[in-house]
Amino acid sequence: MKYMILMYGSQQDYDALAGKPGEGQQAWSPADFAALGAFMESFTKELVESGELVETRGLTAPAHTRRIQLQNGLPVVTDGPYPESEEVLAGYWIVECDSFDRATQIAARLAETPGPEHVRARAKADVRPIAESRDELEA
Amino acid sequence: MAATGTETEDLLRQLAPQVLGALVRRYGHFDTSEDAVQEALLAAATQWPAEGVPGNPRGWLITVASRRLTDLLRAEQARQRREEAAARQLVPSQWLAPAADAGTAEGDDTLILLFLCCHPSLSPASQIALTLRAVGGLTTPEIARAFLVPDDTMTRRITRAKQAVKDSGVPFALPAAAERGQRQAAVLHVLYLIFNEGYAATSGPGLVRPDLSAEAIRLTRIVHRLLPQDGEVTGLLALMLLTEARRPARAGPGGEPVPMAEQDRSLWDANLIGEGVRLITGALRRRTPGPYQLQAAIAAVHDEAATAEATDWPQILALYELLLRVSESPVVALNHAVAVAMVRGPDAGLGLLARLEPDQRMAASHRFHAVRAHLLEMSGDREAARSAYLEAASRASASLPHQRYLHAQAARLTG
Repeated sequence: MKYMILMYGSQQDYDALAGKPGEGQQAWSPADFAALGAFMESFTKELVESGELVETRGLTAPAHTRRIQLQNGLPVVTDGPYPESEEVLAGYWIVECDSFDRATQIAARLAETPGPEHVRARAKADVRPIAESRDELEA
Repeated sequence: MAATGTETEDLLRQLAPQVLGALVRRYGHFDTSEDAVQEALLAAATQWPAEGVPGNPRGWLITVASRRLTDLLRAEQARQRREEAAARQLVPSQWLAPAADAGTAEGDDTLILLFLCCHPSLSPASQIALTLRAVGGLTTPEIARAFLVPDDTMTRRITRAKQAVKDSGVPFALPAAAERGQRQAAVLHVLYLIFNEGYAATSGPGLVRPDLSAEAIRLTRIVHRLLPQDGEVTGLLALMLLTEARRPARAGPGGEPVPMAEQDRSLWDANLIGEGVRLITGALRRRTPGPYQLQAAIAAVHDEAATAEATDWPQILALYELLLRVSESPVVALNHAVAVAMVRGPDAGLGLLARLEPDQRMAASHRFHAVRAHLLEMSGDREAARSAYLEAASRASASLPHQRYLHAQAARLTG
């Protein structure tokens, strides 16, 4: 069964990662950043080794977003639709494992993600089962 | 490795369109991306000579420009959200249709940028300015200096041009096959205008102007490398090289123009002539002649004559007759009249001029009267030639050296 583990971040989080201090927020130090990179590498490596990783991707900063929606029946595009502080999808892993519980166990490992305390305090990850077919979606 | 300022500059100019292409392809925002790339180029121009060129200069520039783009976009988006004038626009219809040329290679980015910069919604002046900045990698002050306009004027011109390109909603892709030919002709025309702008300014205050001719040749070489089979691209490059070859001989010590017949041909650049002749010979063999190939062929016949007397005028005349069929330019018509005079005698040439005279563009141009004066002198009518030279001088208002030259010609025939 496949699950998606979703990670969130705001434009401000992306800034902090790039070393830019925000309002009342500390920037990440190079050491923080190196620790994060090392953790993510080992986290993904373990999933590769256990054969559970299907795919993982990170998304670029939320400022690079185009939103398409209908307005008076016509499709319009909006550049950068998110407020700076809104937490939006920042990256994901798709894992294939035996159960929702195992997928949750994997996602829970993300609680060990190193980083400045104020970032850790807000961090979260979601796990969602992937529908394998249209039937499953309509069930 | 530390690099000199010039090496860095050459490298940056070469990378500029590639970096801009990569950014627009990935993130869109032609106008803002262009600003971001300029800032990255500026950062490199100051850092690299001191700290050394990074291992992957293109990657370095893309990274720095992307970061800058993110910052610029955020400021823009925050402002738009505040103003509620949402950053919304109708999805351009081109986005909803399948791409004209899906899956273009990244090597085509420079070409796509050229098509964007020479978009038909822009005036020629804007096309030229935007091409020099976005593809040539020149800074706005450099372009302003080249066109002798204040920096502010050029900044506004480029900003408006970028806005127009963005508003036109053209996707970052090569034009559809149906309009490809027309759009490519516009690109070649802009490159030719840039070349002529540089070629026309060889003296006086021209000395401090950036070398637009060299820049036009550099850009045309890039297009030729991307479209090696295109006869007109090859023809344009050959025409530029064969014209540039004569530059050292075309002005006297005082900046006065020296007519081709009187130029010291030992000053002509044999390497440029050799390359130009090779290019145009190869292009003509493919039998798809066009105006640039024909003009290059004419330039080649001139350049290959060891002396003015040895010029193969019948061949030049034949080429002008072909050219007249595809070009309505008054300059071509005048040059054709000169070729006719050289082959069939001055009276035949003067007869042609008489038929051209009703054309307003002709009567107003100093060139028309200068050619007429030259042919009248050939025919032995010194008095009429003198007044025609004076008539020409009175219309050559833009250029002092030209006026001086024409007055000198008139004075020579006095008494």
